[in-house]
Amino acid sequence: MNIGSIDRSATSDLGWMHRVSPAAKLVAFTLALASVVVTWNLLVALGLLVTIAAASVSARIDLRLAFTLAAYPSLFALIFALASAPDPLTGATIVVKAVAAGLCAVTIVLTTPYPQIFAPVQRIVPGIVGDALLMTYRTTFLLLDKFAHLLRAIRLRSGIRGVHPVRMARATTTALGSLLLYALDLAQRDYDVMWLRGYSGRLRVHMPKSHTPALDAALVAAALLALAASVTWRAGWQALNRYSWLVPIPALLLLAAALFARSRPQEDSR
Amino acid sequence: MSHIHIPDGVLPLWLWLSGWVAALVLVGIAGRLAERTEVRRKVPLLAVVSALMLVAMSSEIVPLAYHINLTVVAGVLLGPVLSVIAAFIVEVVLAMLGHGGVTVLGLNTLMIATEMILGWALFRGLVAVLSRRRVRWAAAVATVIALACTTTLLVGLVALAGGGAATTRETGALNPASLTFSNPLSGGVFRAGLFAGGGSEAATAPQAGSLSVARFAAVVYTLGPIGWLLEALISAWMLGYVARVRPGLVWEGALGAHPHHVPGDEGVR
Repeated sequence: MNIGSIDRSATSDLGWMHRVSPAAKLVAFTLALASVVVTWNLLVALGLLVTIAAASVSARIDLRLAFTLAAYPSLFALIFALASAPDPLTGATIVVKAVAAGLCAVTIVLTTPYPQIFAPVQRIVPGIVGDALLMTYRTTFLLLDKFAHLLRAIRLRSGIRGVHPVRMARATTTALGSLLLYALDLAQRDYDVMWLRGYSGRLRVHMPKSHTPALDAALVAAALLALAASVTWRAGWQALNRYSWLVPIPALLLLAAALFARSRPQEDSR
Repeated sequence: MSHIHIPDGVLPLWLWLSGWVAALVLVGIAGRLAERTEVRRKVPLLAVVSALMLVAMSSEIVPLAYHINLTVVAGVLLGPVLSVIAAFIVEVVLAMLGHGGVTVLGLNTLMIATEMILGWALFRGLVAVLSRRRVRWAAAVATVIALACTTTLLVGLVALAGGGAATTRETGALNPASLTFSNPLSGGVFRAGLFAGGGSEAATAPQAGSLSVARFAAVVYTLGPIGWLLEALISAWMLGYVARVRPGLVWEGALGAHPHHVPGDEGVR
């Protein structure tokens, strides 16, 4: 998990999605997620997935990173589908829903700085939870880097080359043990810094105002449209199922347009 | 089986919504309890232990589709109240990265918190019975029992969801029996290959497609024990190592331990 790249992508101004206000993105995310949750129609789910992919492509984020992250839940969804789905079609729907929901979350994360994503959560949970949430994300970056270095150092010192599952497991465990001690020292250091800076039990996150209300409205409207399609097909499946194949078509057109837009040099909109 | 790797929209609404409500209430209570004393010290500790769990969870053992969780290690270090908060934090970050579903976040929090609290209680109990010299055995047994309990909880959740409305599905225009798509223009305009069929299938599309609980239980109880053993070995090794080099952390908890200062940091006090 390359969290450094995630952070870099979230804080840079790569495309239109970065300029949409965090509040609008979170509302759109909730609506898109609801549409994925509601549908049990494979073609509608595929249409939603392609639409979300089109949003990712047009947002000019690192597609390899986005799709790698989004593919991760598909592995577990596949196992769940194999283990419990009554037929291949339901299994495929479960996997497509997992990837669509994952890609949606990843697209938001890759286009929004994390404090702004956590800000709404921070408002509804006790102060200690919100503050620890903000610090956890940052600490995860540090620990992942440290873990990679520790693991490499331990492998080199143990002279591990090639595949040695037992020795590798031992090296990994030693690295995790050292990482645990490092983490606790890090907590102590953080405590010292917060004590010096006068931390009194609340880190405040400022939610920026929207500078692009038209883009905000367009994104929310698109997500509403997706939810409407999903609900309509769910409610009126008897009449509409035979037309399900129509749903992926506009989604594919959107994806083609997004790919075309991405291939063109970006104009400086600021 | 620390958390549910079930995609969004598979479990019925009442189940995941109940999970969200229960988790928020529990996190609210834990937050209020935790805020009573030493908040400044608890926040960074919570953050690093949660981050440590996230790092462990990001190291997946691919052939098994299993990742270690360090829930018992974290539970031993944090104690029951902070464990609930750490469980919630870990799940929020995982959901953000697409690793866990957003709708199952509440249920996942309850599962992880249960595992951490159970692991903490079992570890304490076993150490009291076996003596402090058997830290590794206590950690390993506590981990296996905690994971077995939460795996059973998971199967219970899927059983609860099994016959629910959310597991019924429409098959789209596809007939699952023949794997053929029905075609709105099936009156003769477009009728070939995947688009063959149509007509009355849509009206009679099967609604019930319940999850197979028995098959799911068979899979998790077959793959699960391999993961439990791996997790038990790693937890035992780690807690044994920490008990040897920093015993205060294991016996008094991370907050009870004497503050440790890294050389060079003395100036900040």
